[in-house]
Amino acid sequence: MGVQVKVIQRPEPGRTSYLRAALKGMALTFRHMVNPTKVTQQYPEEQTDLSPRWRGTHVMETHADGRPKCVACGLCPTVCPANCIRLVGGEDDNGNRYPIVYEIDEFRCIFCGMCQEVCPVEAIHVGQHFENAEYSRDRFVYDLDRLMEQDHPSTLLWDPSDPRSE
Amino acid sequence: MEPISGVPAVLAMLGKIVGIFTAVMIVVAYTTYAERRVSAWIQDRHGPNRVGPFGLLQPIADGIKNILKEETMPATANRFWFVLGPMLSIIPALVAIAVVPFAAPLPTPWGVVDMVVADVPIGVLWVLAIGSLGIYGIVISGWASNNKYAFLGALRASAQMVSYEVALGLALIATLMLAGNVTLTEMVWQQQQLDWWYAFPLSLAFILFVISAFAETNRLPFDMPEAESELVTGYHTEYSAMKFSMFFIAEYAHMMTASALMATLFLGGWDIPFATWDDAYYWQGQYISGFDEAGAPIAASLAAWKSLATYAVFSLKTAFFLFLYIWVRWTLPRFRYDQVMTLGWKVMLPVSLAYVMVVASTILVLDYLEIPYGFVFGLVLTVVSGLCTLGFLFFLDRDRVIAGAAVPHRLDRPVRMPDTRVPGPAIRGD
Amino acid sequence: MSQSTPQANGNDAAVETVTLTIDGREVTVPKGTTVLKAAESVGTEVPHYCFHEGLSSPAMCRLCLVEVEGAPKLQPSCVTQAQDGQVVRTQGDQALRQRRGVLEFYLVNHPLDCPICDQSGECHLQDYVHEEGRDHGRSREPKRVFGRDDFGGDVLFYGDRCVMCTRCVRFMNEVEQDPRLTVVERGNRSVIDTFFEEGLDGTHWSGNVVDICPVGALVSKDFLYKQRAWDLDHTPSICPSCSQGCNISLHTRDNLVQRLKPRKNLDVNGHWMCDHGRHRYEFMNRPDRLTEPLTGRGTARTPSSASRGWRAALTDVVDRARSLAEGGRGGRVMAVMSPNASNEDIGALVEVVDALGGGDVVYRMARADDEIVLKGYPSLARRRDLAANGHGAELLGATRVGDDDATGGLEAVADHDGIVIVLGDELDDQGEDFGRAAALYLYLGAHPSEAATHADAVLPTTTFAEQEGTFTNIQGRVQRFRQGLRAPGSARPAWLILGAVAAELSGRETAPTSAEEAFDALAGRTNALAGLTWDGLGSRGALVNETVPLAGD
Repeated sequence: MGVQVKVIQRPEPGRTSYLRAALKGMALTFRHMVNPTKVTQQYPEEQTDLSPRWRGTHVMETHADGRPKCVACGLCPTVCPANCIRLVGGEDDNGNRYPIVYEIDEFRCIFCGMCQEVCPVEAIHVGQHFENAEYSRDRFVYDLDRLMEQDHPSTLLWDPSDPRSE
Repeated sequence: MEPISGVPAVLAMLGKIVGIFTAVMIVVAYTTYAERRVSAWIQDRHGPNRVGPFGLLQPIADGIKNILKEETMPATANRFWFVLGPMLSIIPALVAIAVVPFAAPLPTPWGVVDMVVADVPIGVLWVLAIGSLGIYGIVISGWASNNKYAFLGALRASAQMVSYEVALGLALIATLMLAGNVTLTEMVWQQQQLDWWYAFPLSLAFILFVISAFAETNRLPFDMPEAESELVTGYHTEYSAMKFSMFFIAEYAHMMTASALMATLFLGGWDIPFATWDDAYYWQGQYISGFDEAGAPIAASLAAWKSLATYAVFSLKTAFFLFLYIWVRWTLPRFRYDQVMTLGWKVMLPVSLAYVMVVASTILVLDYLEIPYGFVFGLVLTVVSGLCTLGFLFFLDRDRVIAGAAVPHRLDRPVRMPDTRVPGPAIRGD
Repeated sequence: MSQSTPQANGNDAAVETVTLTIDGREVTVPKGTTVLKAAESVGTEVPHYCFHEGLSSPAMCRLCLVEVEGAPKLQPSCVTQAQDGQVVRTQGDQALRQRRGVLEFYLVNHPLDCPICDQSGECHLQDYVHEEGRDHGRSREPKRVFGRDDFGGDVLFYGDRCVMCTRCVRFMNEVEQDPRLTVVERGNRSVIDTFFEEGLDGTHWSGNVVDICPVGALVSKDFLYKQRAWDLDHTPSICPSCSQGCNISLHTRDNLVQRLKPRKNLDVNGHWMCDHGRHRYEFMNRPDRLTEPLTGRGTARTPSSASRGWRAALTDVVDRARSLAEGGRGGRVMAVMSPNASNEDIGALVEVVDALGGGDVVYRMARADDEIVLKGYPSLARRRDLAANGHGAELLGATRVGDDDATGGLEAVADHDGIVIVLGDELDDQGEDFGRAAALYLYLGAHPSEAATHADAVLPTTTFAEQEGTFTNIQGRVQRFRQGLRAPGSARPAWLILGAVAAELSGRETAPTSAEEAFDALAGRTNALAGLTWDGLGSRGALVNETVPLAGD
């Protein structure tokens, strides 16, 4: 769908009007006023259908045993353009690499989704969710547990059947 | 039936004051609500519908909010005038409505109560005088804010007020000539007697008055003093909380006064159309509803339900103008400042002046022909005024007064930008 | 030293040269140079694993194959010597195809666990596959799995990632000459292993096998999962842990030193450094720091005096020192300094002492019982002196006192009633009575100390990692180090502080404002450093006039 340009010709001299045009405008606004069809969405009751590509609050995927899938590879803090991910890697009891600290500052985040794109183990995702209002600013730094608790669906950044858009 | 007097009169007066004040405040509050709802509907939205059923408690919530909000005081503002400004703005707006009769006289066991707070002999002039005082509040607050936007808004307000006050006054003169009196009670009576609302025999005055009233109340398309896109919010930029709220109330109270005035002057006030049973006038010690063919007064039969019915009709008329205000606001874009001034001085003033002459001449001729003040009298005036109005509208409509910024056809040559190039060193091949 | 890398030696004009063509460019190199090094001299890196400058070349990784005109097959450039008139194509179709194939073979068994691999970001397999390898692997066979093995010491072995270059085996055999690693099994079951349970425990140089491992097979336990390689800033520096003066890089992030890596300097340490130095970096990250200049003795020294800043503090110090000196109450100055102070710091201290009428500058230095020599590179050893600049201190006129554990020897200073200056020495063995009798006691240091209780001024200095400067190593080689960390608060280099004091005391208009000025001024007034300039130090350092011969040179 391309950009549509509508060229409006300036009316010829003497052929313009103010009052008639104003009355036409009044009629138009009156028609809209009595028209019962309204475009407003009554938000809390009516929920928006988010696109599957909506990039919102992050989700950390977990293994079946509840461990985070993250291996603390450091790619998401590296790629993050807003520098909102803090990661401290370490070794768990089984000698596996895992994130000791994994924090995302949702205030700083620009929701570009590059963390999800870069993640080699499909652990961190942006999600189809946007309602993250809080009463204090420090609640916007989501730690690992909070990211794992998020239960909204994660974003589909690409069509799984056509991952390369071919 | 005798007019009320003595202690009951004082009590009745107090009751009317309290009642009108309360009514005005409530109407103002719900006009803001109506403004928001209507604007929403016009824009295919719902508008405030969360507080109470259909959002009807929204004005109360707004009021509570405005009281609880923080009062800010700009550091460089003149504290005294800054505080005084909103008061000067709201008081005239509330006082002006005192002379408007809002229903037929109400009979009570202690006598008949006129349904007007103060039937002062100067009538309309009171409204003009008090209404013009409102501008002091705007100018003072704009100056006291020590903010260039506020100051510009105040300047615009005063210039606009002066410009349109003239046209407003001249439009009024036509009605005064026809009514032969300045009290609004008399105006209503005269319209009842003419069988024509003045909107018809004085149609051009009506149109000029409506336009001027829009300008006087600073409503779109004349909201120069608070043009958001140019002046932030103009004279009340620096105001917050209840002080801002007072400006807000003043604006809507002005609207309401202007609407009530237009209803009274041109739409017969509380007169119920096509009916004479409601007519009532205090004439030479008695309430009459007219004169018989012999010129003898017919006593009016007053009743409480009649007062109520006329009050309802008056409210409807006022509401119509309030709705018109809102409707126009959400339809028409704001004029440019030069257009406002052009319209005021070059169109409204000469046209209203000429119209006064036309009306005066017509009345003189009709009086000379000894046509009685009545239906035929009004018909002749209606025809004359109608012709004037058509000419005026034809003239106004054709791009002659309000046009875009570039009007090449009026210059009779192509518009060319001035050559502002500075001669530079000669470049080879140039 | 490896026989395959003869050094181009500038003062031997009679070196025979050969001229050959590499990728269409003519190159002239000394005779005996390998094609790989010749290509490197014109900026072409030929991929290689088994070849390492400091080791022998077995030519077994088959990755450095290049086309040589006239040769029937591709030649391993790491062992092919450059010949006159040779025409070499490192980027020919044949060579690229061959290398792509070899890389694919490596990836048959190399796991794609880059996300959890510490080598990621500095991994040669990553780099080469990215540059020359295939986009996608074709192998469908399961990869062989070894798991990981603790080699002892600081070394952890991930067998799956190993590409069998045997650099580590050769390092232990040839350079450390303590053969503890070998290849066991054959074919794709080959794996590096240790002989006995103790593995690499007890070796002193085994940390180098982590450095030379081209992939993530050998990783440091200390650095395990700590930081990503690409996040680290590298700052050239000098190892402060002994007087050898090994060239190192400080790998820093978040204003903390994360690890130390050796930096090539064939005059000092070759490619290596010892485990002793490698693991002594935590002191650079100590959080207990002095951050503001404080004046006033004992309880009179309150935090509010901090807000007065450097100008007020130094004016105070200079005024008091001058009035003492003029009144003849100063006596001889007693100065204690740390042997880890840079030459510029020591020079400024000596200058201040001289300006105050002369005195004694002493230092205390820990000393180990033996040297630990790297047998394959005998000029490199963990020296007995366990501080970076003991030699520089001696050259600049300081005297060593105290015991081998850097304690004692300060009895005369502790009760001195003249001027006492402490630079950098934390005086851990001294009580809070230290300097109580002193007429003026200046304490310059990075860390708070109990012995500074009676100091008239506590002036915060930077650590060596936070400033520029030079160290003089055991041989007499003056080497530069650079600033890797930000200094906390108002801490300043000691040469800047003492240089300003010295200039004020001696009435000079200007004081040095950079380490370069400080060093050049020092070299200009000190016989031992005469002739040296900051610019002349270069990347390999410069020798002072009287050098100490080293074994192996």
